Amino acid sequence: MAVRRVEHVMGLPVSVDLRDGDAALAGRAFAWLHEVDERFSPFKPGSEVCRYDRGELTREELTPDLVEVLSLCDWYEESTGGAFTARVPGRALDPCAVVKGWAVQRAADLLREGGASSFCLNAGGDVVTAGEPEPGKPWRVGVRHPDLADQLSVVLGVRDGAVATSALYERGQHILDGRTGRPVTGLISVTVVADDLAIADTTATAAFALGRDGIEWAAAQRDCAVFIVDEDRQVWSSPGLPVHIC
Amino acid sequence: MLALSVAGLVPVWLYSPGTGHGGEISEVAAPETQPRQEVPAPQSAPPVVPPTAGSAPRSTAPGTQQQAPQQQAPQQQQRALSGPAITTSEGVVQVQVTLQGTKITDVKAVRAPNSNPTRMALPLLRQSALKAQSADIDTVSGATATSEGYRQSLQAALDGAR
Repeated sequence: MAVRRVEHVMGLPVSVDLRDGDAALAGRAFAWLHEVDERFSPFKPGSEVCRYDRGELTREELTPDLVEVLSLCDWYEESTGGAFTARVPGRALDPCAVVKGWAVQRAADLLREGGASSFCLNAGGDVVTAGEPEPGKPWRVGVRHPDLADQLSVVLGVRDGAVATSALYERGQHILDGRTGRPVTGLISVTVVADDLAIADTTATAAFALGRDGIEWAAAQRDCAVFIVDEDRQVWSSPGLPVHIC
Repeated sequence: MLALSVAGLVPVWLYSPGTGHGGEISEVAAPETQPRQEVPAPQSAPPVVPPTAGSAPRSTAPGTQQQAPQQQAPQQQQRALSGPAITTSEGVVQVQVTLQGTKITDVKAVRAPNSNPTRMALPLLRQSALKAQSADIDTVSGATATSEGYRQSLQAALDGAR
């Protein structure tokens, strides 16, 4: 049975397009995302993230889930020389850049464990796919054109893979360079294709934080293919990018 | 003669075959005088997910694709040229370059240490101009974080269409 559902969770519109599953299974995935929001939101004073940031919990007292998230934050911070960070000086601990992709990938894992084999999960423009929407066809994932909201800049064909995009659209700059604390410049849109959304999403955000240096940095990440638009509207793409010919 | 430093790892030397040789696959050994570049040790993998993930050795060259010279590009046949197999501290590396005329259309590692060769991401990118298109799609990648942004987005149209 096919199920489609859209809900606002973790501050994001989350859409699920489940081709072989039931409403109860979709409900479990959304329940997990709501749980993550309670536990990991830096905006909820009672969350594990806030309690840890205030020193009420030690690292040893954290749940394995948060340890995993913080370990990912640390790895990408080190790999980018601090451009990507969950700890911008003078601000509260904010692991959201990792939590989103990590949590949505876990939601997709829940759908798989529940028996679903063909679905597409989209959280604020970050996508996890499973199987094929119909036999012989990949999920067609359009990448939004950075300047034209109703247009695409490329269409990707993805089976059992994740696609994440970090971009500056009309809302202005929202990614800071952790080395300077200032808004990042150099890139307009970074799309990363990987097997896992935690990797795709964090790689896209970290590349964005590196500015132009992020082009080569992202392309060098193992098992990641990139589609990057710089400020000059030049496109940089990996030879392995799964471009769907329409 | 045209020299390409691919991914900062392997110097690959190519020369244009004469007319009538287009389409051939040429194997060209690197000259003895070509200096070898040190390959940096791979970085550790990001923790937990996925266990095998990590960085491919980084390029130190800022340019990701060197332009082929414009002269002597009489034909557009596709040619694949393999560089020499080079033993590095990390293992044997060999790169294959595909050319359309004198334009590089693809580069892949045919041998790479500690990885599945076909999946190794080399930091050599294709460069092109940004184009707009519309097409039949199943979903959209691109931030639509706000409710208002979502309502006006292509994704909302897709979600509401079925």
